[in-house]
Amino acid sequence: MCKWYEEEGREADGVVSTRVRLARNLRDLPFPTRMTAENRQELNRRVCEALERPMAEAGLPLNRVEMDSLSDMQAMAMVERHCISPEFAREREGRLLLISENESVSIMLGEEDHIRIQALLPGLALDEAYTMAGSIDKLLSESLDIAFDKRLGYLTACPTNLGTGLRASVMLHLPAIESRSAMGAITNMVSKIGLTVRGMYGEGSGTKASLYQLSNQVTLGISEEAALSNLKSITGQILQRERAARKALDPDKLADMVWRSLGLLCTARILSGEEFMGLISAVRLGTYMGIIRTDPAAVARLLVDCQPAMLQLSAAGPENPLPMEAAQRDKVRAAHVRKILGVAICSQ
Amino acid sequence: MLCDKCGKRTATTHIHANIGGVTREMNLCSYCASVMGYGAVFGGLNGLVGSLLEEQHAAQNQDAKRCPQCGAAFSEIAESGKLGCAACYETFAEELAPSLQRMHGRTKHVGRTPYIRRPADERAERLNRLKSQLAEAVAAEAFEKAASLRDEIKALEQAGGKGLDGESTAPADSGRGTLPEGGEEHV
Repeated sequence: MCKWYEEEGREADGVVSTRVRLARNLRDLPFPTRMTAENRQELNRRVCEALERPMAEAGLPLNRVEMDSLSDMQAMAMVERHCISPEFAREREGRLLLISENESVSIMLGEEDHIRIQALLPGLALDEAYTMAGSIDKLLSESLDIAFDKRLGYLTACPTNLGTGLRASVMLHLPAIESRSAMGAITNMVSKIGLTVRGMYGEGSGTKASLYQLSNQVTLGISEEAALSNLKSITGQILQRERAARKALDPDKLADMVWRSLGLLCTARILSGEEFMGLISAVRLGTYMGIIRTDPAAVARLLVDCQPAMLQLSAAGPENPLPMEAAQRDKVRAAHVRKILGVAICSQ
Repeated sequence: MLCDKCGKRTATTHIHANIGGVTREMNLCSYCASVMGYGAVFGGLNGLVGSLLEEQHAAQNQDAKRCPQCGAAFSEIAESGKLGCAACYETFAEELAPSLQRMHGRTKHVGRTPYIRRPADERAERLNRLKSQLAEAVAAEAFEKAASLRDEIKALEQAGGKGLDGESTAPADSGRGTLPEGGEEHV
């Protein structure tokens, strides 16, 4: 089955993906930092009981992934596919993940909160993602006693999520704004209205390939609908700026940069992760600006497949034992990119 | 100078706060400052210093208040930035309030509420079921059955009206996905 990121969404020129996360807790169990192994089992059992059957009946069956059965590399690859948080991959003991076949819906049990419902969709799709996460939330609250207070809303382990427990984010591709060094101004602007801009893999991660994650910050005293509409409207404004900035780029220099990047990707024998991200960003820009005719789905897939753990898992074999040295990884990455993009350059 | 709040420890934090348009000056010790949300309770720039002070405080106050459900003390919450369980919010409501205000700018939830199956809903569902069974029984001229169904419906309706189980038949106020009245939206 196709993964969610292999499909193209709305406003795909500037929005790579949309994520909505709801944090929920059970009223009578201690929060994860104070949970015993028995508490964790109890949490996993109750949530599976509440969700598995109704989800299967609704045609969206969830697979169970016992996190402690995964290797570091497999867990890391799930982070790279955005199925789980880096934190969930780090401490895996007793943690359970429920995940749909196309990985669009994932439910982390025993992360910072008891339950983290996550819906991921390609392009800009805030309403759809919220509806997906919300329907799972409804299933949970029908059979479980969810920690909720009339005044404070959904009670969460960290007070920064208190209230709606909603974190909605859009992954933006902003190469033109970045080239004008205008990201700082945007970060400042959005922070004044309760939003925040972060790197590709969330909190604390650096920016790569001009990818930025825009998300809501305030969760108390603002309804889900208002938070989503704020985010939507700011996303729209940033997109407008990005498109204007793209038009203002020198067309000859832009075409040269895009073609050179594609040329390097199609011919290089050694590609570091950092170099790859910079080049693929230019190719993505050139694809959506109509400069080159590369399949957008291939670019989206490469962005995920060329991350270190994903790459190593797919190339592992007798001649490529795990874990690979960085030099070997860079060779494997270059070969993989040539295989996928080589066809693209020959046909133009 | 002693702390304005506890009057015991030396004031180390000087605060100019604008609360509801009125500027107030306060001199607080590090503990009272963090309790009032001005310290590094949830990891600010002074996170490390804040947590060290909190540890000290915890050692000095062995008899500090603890959450009855999970046993967490406020100093532990302040140090980790995470609460111990849902009941901590009630236990430490006073200590948390200033931090919540600073974090979100607001202290009252607006938005979705859990879908809770209330006795009133179940009664309404049962009534509907009985009424359709009654209609079927009448249509099939099964009058004996219809009479017993009618009695059952009557009894159920009366019980609902009198609120025997402590629930009125008024519509539930905690329907999911609704905005409570008077909810302001932050724009």
